[in-house]
Amino acid sequence: MNIRQAFKMAWKSIWGKKGRSILTMLGIIIGIASVMTIVSAIAGYADKMMEQFEAMGTNRISLSAYSYVYIEDENGNWVNTGKDYFPDIYAYCNSMSDLVVGVTPQAYFSATMIYGTKNTNTMQQNFYYDENGNPVGDRPPSFYYGSDQYSACSNLVITQGRDLTQLDVKNYNQVMVLGSEAAKTFFGTANPIGKIVQLNSLNFEVVGVYDSRMKEESSMMGSIDNFVVVPYTTRRVLGGDNISDFIVVARNLEDMDEIVSRLDGFMKGLLDRNTSDYNVQPESQGLDYMNETLGMVGGVLAGVAAISLMVGGIGIMNIMLVTVTERTREIGIRRAIGAQRSSIVTQFLIEAAMLCGIGGLIGMALGTGGCLLLGNLLFQMTIYPSAPVTAGAFGLSVLLGVIFGCYPALKASKLQPVEALRAE
Amino acid sequence: MEKLVELRDVYKIYGEGLESEVRALDGVSLQIDRGEFVAVVGQSGSGKSTMMNVLGCLDIPTRGDYFLEGTDVRDLTDKELSRIRNKEIGFIFQQYNLIQTLTVLENVELPLIYQGIHADERRDMALDALERVGLLGRIKHKPTEMSGGQQQRVAIARAIATKPPIIMADEPTGALDSRTGHEVLEFLQQLNREGTTVILITHDNGIAATARRCVRLTDGKIVEDKEQEVDWF
Repeated sequence: MNIRQAFKMAWKSIWGKKGRSILTMLGIIIGIASVMTIVSAIAGYADKMMEQFEAMGTNRISLSAYSYVYIEDENGNWVNTGKDYFPDIYAYCNSMSDLVVGVTPQAYFSATMIYGTKNTNTMQQNFYYDENGNPVGDRPPSFYYGSDQYSACSNLVITQGRDLTQLDVKNYNQVMVLGSEAAKTFFGTANPIGKIVQLNSLNFEVVGVYDSRMKEESSMMGSIDNFVVVPYTTRRVLGGDNISDFIVVARNLEDMDEIVSRLDGFMKGLLDRNTSDYNVQPESQGLDYMNETLGMVGGVLAGVAAISLMVGGIGIMNIMLVTVTERTREIGIRRAIGAQRSSIVTQFLIEAAMLCGIGGLIGMALGTGGCLLLGNLLFQMTIYPSAPVTAGAFGLSVLLGVIFGCYPALKASKLQPVEALRAE
Repeated sequence: MEKLVELRDVYKIYGEGLESEVRALDGVSLQIDRGEFVAVVGQSGSGKSTMMNVLGCLDIPTRGDYFLEGTDVRDLTDKELSRIRNKEIGFIFQQYNLIQTLTVLENVELPLIYQGIHADERRDMALDALERVGLLGRIKHKPTEMSGGQQQRVAIARAIATKPPIIMADEPTGALDSRTGHEVLEFLQQLNREGTTVILITHDNGIAATARRCVRLTDGKIVEDKEQEVDWF
């Protein structure tokens, strides 16, 4: 008997008892659908996070230099004793430009930005998510202090005007470069170059706009292009704590360790260990941590789903055992007219595998829907199941069929022809 | 004549050694030559069905030897026994034993499927067999949609589809009215005239009288084995 015939026979038997087949498959359908939904949604979410990280640039090393001794100044305010380490770090990093792309402070600050009727304070008040989780209104941009190498460190390219320069930094120039989203928010289609905006009531000139880094917008996170960069030295007028966090970007991933160790040595010499401390590490460690956490959550959820698959598989085995009992006479007839044991095993095994396979296909369809739904509800993202997950889900369901079909199939084949024929 | 099957002192004992042991076959020796038409006749419980199961390689004797075309069947594997049931023997049962979920044509094709014969050739062979029993018009029907006589003809078509040298019929007319039963017996006679060895199991002396040789079983023993004039009822 060839395999094609065995498949035809199995299909006939499944189709002949549609109602029971569907009920039997239910366990597998639910199991596969939930495994796929969970695994895909988590994998999709991690991929999106990864994409954002990569859009900002990989090969990033985060460097922190901070003082832990505070003193009281003449006005009675507590300020830290740390000085501006950036010029030294900048000089050092640019001395090894064969390894390093650039260095920039990594510092967020809050500010009120006003241009015409656009005001970040009113934006903040009017921005909200509707019942479907979609953002409504303008989202206020994020504000960053940067060096002239901010763009190089953040994977940004100028599309309009010019970038920040060393002179801007050196001369405390009150200029700013906008991310593409921020430019759209404040100026729409108008040309922002040369426009004067109010930043904490101080005049800043828009000198440039960066190109967009995102392929598609993610509504949950907001766009990573919704930001404003000013020379970090303008902190003198804008205020805020000393800048203690910096980003150094390596030319090659392989050089990361080398750069980290060099920076480590440099910082040791630069800082006074009695009043200050520092930390150097590749930024990808944060990403690794995130992936690990997501993996753990996913693992637990997938484990629960796997148990439901197990239960589904046992259901299949149960029904196949009933089927074997019901069809004892048929097995006897087949044996009497020349079916070998192996033919009977093949027949029942293929039937079980096919039952699970069909259940798996239905489960995959539901899982795809579930994945889209979950992605939309939880993360406000469109997440499609990946091909490996889909293929894996199908393979898994067929494998379950084979595993749980084995016992009934062997049982069927062990019947003596004469005994099987006697069955009613 | 060429010896086809031979039983040598064969026993089939259920629950041997117990007080309730049953000797379905109690030291049976029998020899059947190629081309014979043999009726095995006996009352219910005489062991005739057990004998057919042993002869048809459906059951294994407790003791004794069974040679089929000179081969000791006890030495054969399941695979080889399956091949014998498939190619050497055509079974006809009292209860037809058709598979209800398959159509007439699929039922007749089944033994050919297990031979691994290609679909087109298989279909032709099955159609030939169905033509011989006069059921070409009903190949798409399910067995449940047919009368008992028609079902038995499907079973005969299935038995002859592989053109086996031996036909074993266990009470083939038991569930049929006398006219239809007569047709079935005539068909077996026809097959025998074409060279097929026919072994017919029956409890009915009238039916046994249609065979040239009659073997009578009582309590698992052969009590009579005679050549006879064929007598049509």
